[in-house]
Amino acid sequence: MTTPISAGRPIGSIYDLGYRGYEGPRLGRAHAIRSLFLHSLRTAFGIGRGGRAKIAPITVGAMALLPAVALVGILTLASRFGERAEELLIGQAPIAYNTYFATITIPLVLFCAAQAPELFGRDQRHGVLSLYFARALQRTDYAIARIAGFVAALIVLQLLPNALMFGGRVLISPDILDGLRREVAPMPAVLAQVLLSSALLGCLAMVVSAFTPRRAYATAGLIALFLIPSIIAGVVTGLGSSGIGPWLILSSATSALDGTNAVLFNLAPDSFSFFVSLPDWAYFAAVLAGIAGSLAISIRRFAKITA
Amino acid sequence: MALISVRSLTKQYPGPVTALDGLTVEIETGIVGLVGSNGAGKSTLLKILLGLIDATSGEATVFDMDVRTHGTDIRQFVGYMPEHDCLPPDASATDFVSHLALMSGLPRVAARERTAEVLRHVGLYEERYRAIGGYSTGMKQRVKLAQALVHDPRLLLLDEPTNGLDPAGRDEMLELVLRTGSEFGIAVIVASHLLGEIERVCNYLVAIEGGRLLRAAPLGAFTQQTGTLAVEVEEGSEALAARLSGQGLEAIADGRNVLIALTDERPYDIVRDTVVELGLPLVRIEQRRHKLEDLFRDRPDGPEVVAAASSPAAPAPATPEGDR
Repeated sequence: MTTPISAGRPIGSIYDLGYRGYEGPRLGRAHAIRSLFLHSLRTAFGIGRGGRAKIAPITVGAMALLPAVALVGILTLASRFGERAEELLIGQAPIAYNTYFATITIPLVLFCAAQAPELFGRDQRHGVLSLYFARALQRTDYAIARIAGFVAALIVLQLLPNALMFGGRVLISPDILDGLRREVAPMPAVLAQVLLSSALLGCLAMVVSAFTPRRAYATAGLIALFLIPSIIAGVVTGLGSSGIGPWLILSSATSALDGTNAVLFNLAPDSFSFFVSLPDWAYFAAVLAGIAGSLAISIRRFAKITA
Repeated sequence: MALISVRSLTKQYPGPVTALDGLTVEIETGIVGLVGSNGAGKSTLLKILLGLIDATSGEATVFDMDVRTHGTDIRQFVGYMPEHDCLPPDASATDFVSHLALMSGLPRVAARERTAEVLRHVGLYEERYRAIGGYSTGMKQRVKLAQALVHDPRLLLLDEPTNGLDPAGRDEMLELVLRTGSEFGIAVIVASHLLGEIERVCNYLVAIEGGRLLRAAPLGAFTQQTGTLAVEVEEGSEALAARLSGQGLEAIADGRNVLIALTDERPYDIVRDTVVELGLPLVRIEQRRHKLEDLFRDRPDGPEVVAAASSPAAPAPATPEGDR
């Protein structure tokens, strides 16, 4: 009972090289944050996880990519058959930069609902947080790296189809340089909308997942968060455009982003998914407030959480 | 300088529950057992040292750095094995441990190499590529130890490392702890309520109770001082005890046993002679080593409590504060 265990090496273990120390560099906090960011980005797409973890991101990713693929396919076919593809391009193609956010809103929301809980819920559910916080990271670093990774995943998810459209539209132009010039023009608006929408949807999705470690609850909560306000927005739209009513549509993240999209691409009011018109700045203010608010709440959550 | 230095550390949880109550202790390098019953404040102390929670008052330093201001610097060189479950079931041990190596600041290639090495060290081979969810408790504990070791820390904090293990698993885990501490020169603090285990691996003990220091001293000082000689007789234990007391020994009858305080060799002869004189049916004479459990068993309010020696170099018993 009180005999100490032998401290000697096991007898006959020729292959046991034993434990060796580590003398190499320790890159510290910044490296840890970068690594966690990349890990989050990969995890959002199910990379480095089992096969089942890839089903949802691949399905949703395909949904987000499909309209762009279809557009490029149709344009290519059309140009083959001698149609004047350029006319089609500049004309009324239903799938374009300025409508793409509206086209893939549902896949984006589904991606948030399915994947954000993977990043914040898993660590809490399995008690992994204390292992992170016991390392070179700080609590805030953890929250920011995870959120940034997820926002980056949404950016990738939106940039891919836009890049595909860009490439397709440039390549079928009779004059490539002309095409390039034409297609670059809307890029600032595309990038701005992608950044704003990814940041808002990503931060909102992460704040909900931060408070609901159970995956199913987080997913349900997220769908409710994105769906219920847009129903309200729909009702408000029907009620006309006076009083504070119209401002209520800003409670819906996707409607506010429809607004920034319309402003960025200079769309006519009737091409909105709703007919209420607010001042241009209102949409941006709502989106930025949503980003800042949800980011702050998430960071606070992880500053307080027991680990 | 001391590896860890804790001064009047107090932690109050809402409730109010006092987990640490003005704890002061200095811990030097070595394999240190942090013993105390459940709720004594062991885990709380470890978490404060890691900066996982903040102390209500008092201060603590690790490697001479303040845990409040230099948490990140300290934690790069500390490995922590928590008491609770902390492994995602769907990741493989390799993926999980190398990911955590990155989180400790190791470059990617080094993280992968260290992971392979450290998993081999804890005895995980082919199974390290399988999902952790399918592991036995013993394998999970090994992964927990591996993640604490992967960045080659200078200090290892182990919270109840043998939790949930069967006797064979306990032995293996303790052997790993011992090897890690003695062969690789990593300072280890093992928190446990199982004194029998602690005394097998540690060379220094810090005993806490109710958030206060009970005693901090080399292991030997805990076990050597008082021995007990147990003499078991089939009958007449009362008479034997009385006779022995008459000869100047501290002897008490305890059922069929007579317990005699053992300070030198003298009692052996006296017991032998007395038993013969009384013609008692002797069953056995057994020297009972003073068990660490005694520290806690007779720990009431009285002044006989062995109390805090605030410096590890001077384990002289002092008077307790006496307000308990």
